Parts: sequence; C-alpha cells; structure tokens
Amino acid sequence: MTMLKELVGRNMEEIAYGGKVVVETINLSVIYGKRYAIRDISLKVEKNRITAIIGPSGCGKSTFLRCLNRMNDLILDARVEGKVLYRGLDIYNREVDPVAVRTVIGMVFQRPNPFPMSIFDNVAFGLRVNGVKFSKTELAAKVRDALEKAALWDEVKDRLDAPAYSLSGGQQQRLCIARTLAVDPEVILLDEPTVSLDPISTAKIEQLLRNISSNYTIVIVTHNMQQAARVSDYTAVLMPDEEMVGRLIEFGPTRDIFTQPRDKRTEDYISGRVG
Amino acid sequence: MARLMDIGLERLSNMLNDMASLSTEAVELAVKSFVEGVNLQEEVFQLSEKLRWLQDEVSDLAVELIARYQPVASDLRFLKSAMEVAYGFSRFGRYAYDISQIIATFGDLRECNKEVVAEVSTVVKEMLALSIRSFLEKDNRLAERLEEMDSIVDRAYKTNVEQSLVEGSKKCGMALMLMLRYLERIADHATYIGEAVNYTVVGERRPRR
Repeated sequence: MTMLKELVGRNMEEIAYGGKVVVETINLSVIYGKRYAIRDISLKVEKNRITAIIGPSGCGKSTFLRCLNRMNDLILDARVEGKVLYRGLDIYNREVDPVAVRTVIGMVFQRPNPFPMSIFDNVAFGLRVNGVKFSKTELAAKVRDALEKAALWDEVKDRLDAPAYSLSGGQQQRLCIARTLAVDPEVILLDEPTVSLDPISTAKIEQLLRNISSNYTIVIVTHNMQQAARVSDYTAVLMPDEEMVGRLIEFGPTRDIFTQPRDKRTEDYISGRVG
Repeated sequence: MARLMDIGLERLSNMLNDMASLSTEAVELAVKSFVEGVNLQEEVFQLSEKLRWLQDEVSDLAVELIARYQPVASDLRFLKSAMEVAYGFSRFGRYAYDISQIIATFGDLRECNKEVVAEVSTVVKEMLALSIRSFLEKDNRLAERLEEMDSIVDRAYKTNVEQSLVEGSKKCGMALMLMLRYLERIADHATYIGEAVNYTVVGERRPRR
C-alpha cells in the first residue's frame, strides 16, 4: 500500500481547484446491506474553512462524515458508491491505504475517548505508531505544540504524567483533539464533539476550532444548530427523503443558510418548525 | 405544533398592530389640527408618548426573543424588521406631534392657502395605510407603490420650498414648509416600512434611492 501523500504527489497545492478545495464528494452514496443510508451527495470542502453538517437524526450526517476518512470500511456490510476526492485523489482507490487516509484526515468522536495512559502518552501515541523516530526533545516539543493548539497546555503542563482519565470531560475532549493534531493532519472531522460537554467546555472547544481553522480544514457534524451558526463558514443540510435516505438539500455559506435559506425544508428545520 | 417562540412573536405582532392604529390616529389628528386650525397638541402628544413607549416594548421583546430562542431565517428577519417598523411607527407619532405644534406656534393660519397640504396629506395618509397593510399582510409588492408615492410627496415639498422663496407671506410660507417637511418625513418612514417588509419576505434589500 502506498502512503496517501506520496500518491497525491509533490504538487499537492495545484491539484483540485487550485488548492482551494481539499475534499470533494461526487455522487457519494452509502449502502448498509441493501438499504441506502445516504445517496448522491456532492459537495466541496474548502481549505482552512469550517464546514458544518446539520440535519435531523437518522439523515446520515455521521455516515457521510465517516466516508471522508474511510471509517465506514470498519462496518462489515457498508458499501460506498461515488467518489471522495482528497486533493483530487480518490481515497477509495485500491492503492490507497485507509490508515494513510486517516493520518491526513483525522477524526474526533462524540464522546472523549482517551487511551488508558498518561496525558503525554495520549498525545504522543499517534506520533509513535506512525513509524517516524523522534528524539525525546522532538517528541516533547510536538506534544507541547499539539496541547497548545488544543488550548490545553496551561491546564496540564504540570501533570503530563497524570492519567488522561483524571481530566474533566471537556479537557479529555481537547486532549483527543490534541492527539489528532499531533500527527499533523490537514483535515479534521468532528462528530458532535461537544454533545456530552457543559456550556463552558463547549465554548472552549468552539473557540479552539475557530483558532485552529486558519491551519486546518474542519468538517463538523452537529445537532446543535446554534453551534453550526457560531463556528462554521459553510453549512450542509442533510434531510431524509420519503424512503428515509439521506439527501443533501442545501449547501452554502452559513450566513446565507441561517438568514435566508433557499429550501423550505431547511427553513423549517433550522427554525424548529416540526409536526 | 406551535413553538415556544410563536407566543412571543404573536405578542410582538399585537403590539405592532396597536402601534399601527395609534400612529394612524396621531397623524390624522395632527393633519386635522393644521387644516382646521384647531389646537390638538395635547391629544397628539399623548398618542406620540404611547408610541414611544410601545417602541421600547417592541425592542425589548425582540431582544428577549433573540436571547431566549436564537431565531434564524425568516423569524430572525421578522424580528429585525419589527424593530425597524416599530421605530417607523414611533416616528409617525413624533412628526404628528411636530405638526400639532405648528398651530400652537404660528396661531391663526386661515389666511394661508392650504390646498397643497390637503393634497399631500391625502397621499401621505394613504401611504401610512399602505405601509401598515404591507406589514400586517406581509405583502412586499406594496414597497414599490410606496416608493412611487414617496416621489410625489418629495416633489410637492421641493416645489413648495421654491415657491415660498418668491411669493406669499412669510408666516404662511414657513408654516406650510414645516407642515410639508413633516409630511415628507412621514412618507419616508412609510417607505422604509415597506422596505423592511420586503426584507422580511424575501431576505434581500432593495437598493435605496
């Protein structure tokens, strides 16, 4: 298997719309067994922007997100149709190693899932398993850098050897973000990252996402409409059709989606008009 | 199923309906005071004060609804427009009060030719009614009509200013000019209400002249 960065080649910036679009899906569909979960979703994720995916429960938001770094490969009866391009390269190409995909397109999950090890080792984990040898000093610098980016350094710098489970839920989630950032991905996928957190921890994560968005491309799935409105630059609205298959019904700048949506279903959904 | 926010939105609409009635009454009384030469300053002042108070109430409720429910899309546009419309209604009251002061300040104006005022006030009262209708019925097509009528009022005001420089008594000239100026301002605010309704309905602003 070839590493993704090698496959994409040296002139990465020139590929895919002059480098402006990092990830693009073309008629992306996912089938679980015989049933479509999402169908024909085409959208472009812009570099260094935050794209939010919103929609009611069961519309396929998480399914869509998991396609972007091949996490659906881990589901036995899941099948993917269409294309997911990372800088113009189809990540479902046979030659592409899914593990390599996940190093450039990292993921943070709903609930914080630190490993049962120290704070330091959690962040260093990805660096160690990637096979690149770092000196102790280099490793320490990279861990610190990731913790600083995740706005956690000041809170943990004096207890890096403490178990990750000794941190609060909000701190654990920022630790998971630091762990993702440590391997230097280009794209970060977040699946409802604040669903289990209190408002203060939620605000810290949102602030952190805005802060790092100048260096990373972020896609976030959220049930919280106000969160999408607060943090994202673009919003995609997914909605199940009559057969409960998730469809992309509207995509555009967040400002437009939340002030003058074009589709009545979007208007009704974001305004809470149900039943 | 009604949303929690809908209760607040309905209360807001009721307050704006009250403002529409009060501002119509204020302008009609004020025009009557000028045309018939009767001093109705106190009555118009009371209406104007009520409008000012209601404008604050509308703003407070709109801000509360934003804070409580974080409205988006047409709800958010409606709240923004509601504040603008309430301001417009409040200005109607204020200009009506200004008009009612003309008789109190200038005294007897029977010698003045008030034909132009009668004509312009008819147009302005119709604009007032149209702006209220456009808001209540969320009818953005009336915005264009209001703009056309506003041009008629603007022209009448400008013509009167030019005429008053060359002919007639100073007292009549000044009184008529003030009256027409206030009517012209009312017409402007009626036009702005039409614009606010247009924004609520389609989410876009028409270019202002």
